[in-house]
Amino acid sequence: MSNVLTRDVLIKWAPLIVLLVLVLFFTMMEPRFFSLRNFARIGISSAPALMVAIGVTFIIIMGSIDLSMEGTVSVCAVVFAFAFIALGGTLASWAWLAIPLALLVGGAIGFVNGLVHVLLKIPSFMASLAMGFVGTGFALLLTGGDRIRVEDDLFRSLLTERWFGFPIMCYVALLFLLIAWFIQSRTTLGRNFYAVGGGEELAHASGLNVNRVRIMGFALAGIFYAVGALLAVGRIGIAETATGSNFMFVSITSVVVGGTALWGGIGGVWNTLIGVLIVNVINNGMVVIGLPGYVQDGVLGILVIAAVVLSTDRKSVTFVK
Amino acid sequence: MSFIKKYIEQETITRRNLLLASAYGVGGAAISSMLGGMARAAITDPTVAWSYRNRTNPYWNEIVSGGEAFVESLGKPKDFLTHLINEGSSEKSLADVKALLSKTNGELALAIDTNDAPNARPVVESCVEAGAYVSTLWNKTDDLHPWDFGDNYVSHMSWSDEGPAEQTARILLDAMGGSGGVVHLGGIASNNPAIERLAGLNNALKDYPNAELLAAEPADWDTQKANQVMSAFLTRYGDDIKGVHCANDTIAYGVLEALRAEGIEDMPIVSYDGNPQAVELVGEGKILATVFTNPHWGGGITAALAYYAATGHFKPSEEPNEHREFYGPTIMVRPEDAQAFKAEYLDSVPTYDWKDFWSTSNGQIQYK
Repeated sequence: MSNVLTRDVLIKWAPLIVLLVLVLFFTMMEPRFFSLRNFARIGISSAPALMVAIGVTFIIIMGSIDLSMEGTVSVCAVVFAFAFIALGGTLASWAWLAIPLALLVGGAIGFVNGLVHVLLKIPSFMASLAMGFVGTGFALLLTGGDRIRVEDDLFRSLLTERWFGFPIMCYVALLFLLIAWFIQSRTTLGRNFYAVGGGEELAHASGLNVNRVRIMGFALAGIFYAVGALLAVGRIGIAETATGSNFMFVSITSVVVGGTALWGGIGGVWNTLIGVLIVNVINNGMVVIGLPGYVQDGVLGILVIAAVVLSTDRKSVTFVK
Repeated sequence: MSFIKKYIEQETITRRNLLLASAYGVGGAAISSMLGGMARAAITDPTVAWSYRNRTNPYWNEIVSGGEAFVESLGKPKDFLTHLINEGSSEKSLADVKALLSKTNGELALAIDTNDAPNARPVVESCVEAGAYVSTLWNKTDDLHPWDFGDNYVSHMSWSDEGPAEQTARILLDAMGGSGGVVHLGGIASNNPAIERLAGLNNALKDYPNAELLAAEPADWDTQKANQVMSAFLTRYGDDIKGVHCANDTIAYGVLEALRAEGIEDMPIVSYDGNPQAVELVGEGKILATVFTNPHWGGGITAALAYYAATGHFKPSEEPNEHREFYGPTIMVRPEDAQAFKAEYLDSVPTYDWKDFWSTSNGQIQYK
């Protein structure tokens, strides 16, 4: 019995151990890696990705998948930038309304995404991928291919203002992580995600409106994508159709590396935090230790496989789909 | 188990035969219609199409806006221009061209970037067989030449980035006082412009013995990736970095923001492409130089060449080789002339004479 317990504990903490080993490894290779300034840099690159990854975590816990993040992030970023500039161009004016508007847009896209998936009975994989393309196309339609600069110093203080060495955007990300944790552990909706992911038929038979939970999940994910979009715009001061690029790979990888199982019911937002940090530590560390560019992609792929093997309990899986 | 193997082999052969037969059928049908096409001397009202990656990238957006300006100069609406968007897939690029050729029965003036060099040959050959007129931009293999295809392969335009990138590198190194560490953030490693722009930097460095290239990493033409790579460079080299050589403007934006996050305001940076935002930054002195390749004109003139060859306005085979394969124009933008440049090229898009094909050309393309 005690053996089983240690094994469980080990698997629970494996992602964190992987993260620590990576930090140790990169520090040994290049001591400058281990500095507050570099951790702040990793924090900056992780913050938007963490928001997007948290969004998709809820969906993956339900045993579905959401691939619409790139389109949703682009649309939210572009809508935010247009509204922000139209309403005054600084947070000190009515332009702050652009922030709730972006969250609303993100939620709405997620809601439609959920409706398409549930009502038309299209697998979430396909429905969300298609919605993602629609989003990218829509963002392109709005911008006509141009990029919109958000120059407001107050908004950009997300990046430029630092508390204890970390820019404000890191604290914003932390705040939303806590909100996500609250939703996951203290609300009925959060527990229902696990119920659906753990056994949909059982949840359904127990009287749970599974379709409603699914739609709510996609809407919630959309809101988190919007937060990610805001932080991404805060980071580079530009909103464009390409703002959403690469978020799909980074977020899904992070969720899985963090130990949330793709078949649902296992994992959570703290796992995702560790996963995002693992991916960003790898990305940052490889440049810091001076690995040639052409090796980096390959190494990242291998490390991801290694991290997944170490951090998920493969013995409990009877088959992999 | 051998009977299974045999069965599979048989099935494969049958399927292959079927594919070959159907390909032959389609090809045959196409060839018969082409014979009519080839005899055509001029097409009175060809469809005008631009085939490119997508409009997300500001560079390609400019290219296509030039194509649209050209069709408007013909008195047609903007949407007269047919867009073939390959999304970075050579297979889609070729398939779209073939589909449009059969739809228009070869009455087509096509401007195209074939996405990668090897794809240029099948695209050109399909167009030539169908009697359509094609002008290519950027990508083609060195052994493919317009003059080998009579009139139908009208022209190829490209840019040599090594020279201008070397010039920007010299501006950068001079601003650094000729010494200290430089980092280079490049494009997608296998892209020709990415290779040439890094080569330009290396050429310049030979004359500056006290300067050193600390690192060159690909940032894939992407602002966010450039932002992350620059952050990591700052960790690795810290204050040793005295200057940044960026392969294009979108990379420079990410670099500037990575520096801004650290409170570094006065790092010398040079970039490439001359996008409007970068020109503004050059005006403010935040970027020391960028190189404008006038994508709007490039997009318009490539379509114009194919169109006017198709309508018989000029006969490509009677033009010298330097009019069939040529380098496009480059303009260096520095802080002192950023305002004048912006007024001339960006504030209002100049109205170009789309029949003036070659006056700003940088000469015939040279092969190493």
